[in-house]
Amino acid sequence: MIVTNTETVAGYRIVEIKGLVQGNTVRAKHAGRDIAASFKNLVGGELKGYTELLTESRRQAVERMLGQAEQLGANAVVNVRFTTSAVTAGAAELYAYGTAVVLQPGRDG
Amino acid sequence: MLDLIIGIGTPLVLLALGWFVGRSREKRHFQELDRREQLCQDMLVTQLKSFPSYVFGEKPPRMLVGEAVIATDYLKSFLAGLRNIFGGEVLSYETMIVRARREATLRILEQAQREGYNAICNLRLETADIGGSGVSNGNRKNQKVMSAILASATAYNAAQSP
Repeated sequence: MIVTNTETVAGYRIVEIKGLVQGNTVRAKHAGRDIAASFKNLVGGELKGYTELLTESRRQAVERMLGQAEQLGANAVVNVRFTTSAVTAGAAELYAYGTAVVLQPGRDG
Repeated sequence: MLDLIIGIGTPLVLLALGWFVGRSREKRHFQELDRREQLCQDMLVTQLKSFPSYVFGEKPPRMLVGEAVIATDYLKSFLAGLRNIFGGEVLSYETMIVRARREATLRILEQAQREGYNAICNLRLETADIGGSGVSNGNRKNQKVMSAILASATAYNAAQSP
């Protein structure tokens, strides 16, 4: 499955639009990460635990989105966008959405 | 008396920790970013949706994502607190956000390079609120100052058209 965050895919032609597909996930950080983060706040630097959390959430949201696209019979998702929102302190939502399309190799147009 | 020593001493130790450890860590991170950006120099990076006058190779494009969360140190949050009284530019937080942004972008570039792509288009950067500072939790003291950046882009195999 081809996934891009551009509206068109160079070298391919969109032959059918299947519709909007989306995936979301709400994840909380576990207490150990919070404690580690408090220490990091003294000396500064990357919070690896939180970066991992974002990576995992993003993977999960994209997977759910791709699952929907597959069900619709699409072979690509274009113009993918991500948004996040803080649900409460300690949990964040990651939402991925895009347009499921059927692509065929060939010039645009 | 002991209370007073602990009361004044602890923040002083933490400030010193921020001054010595935090500053050197930040300097090292910036040096590392410079070095890694040098390695990715021949990559074509734009936030255009397509490349006029470029042709794309056989390899199908792929969306790449990168994220980085960078925390500030105690000294910087202290200085930023002072800045809050007088107003003006908060330089100490600026470098924190710059670090997160460059790190997230570099992660995309390095991944693209590993997978054999040579061009990145439609690079998008956005901030994520994972510390919950956008939600009123009535507990401002426990708030951690950090900057989380989500980057996404589409990697292509491109060549200058003849």
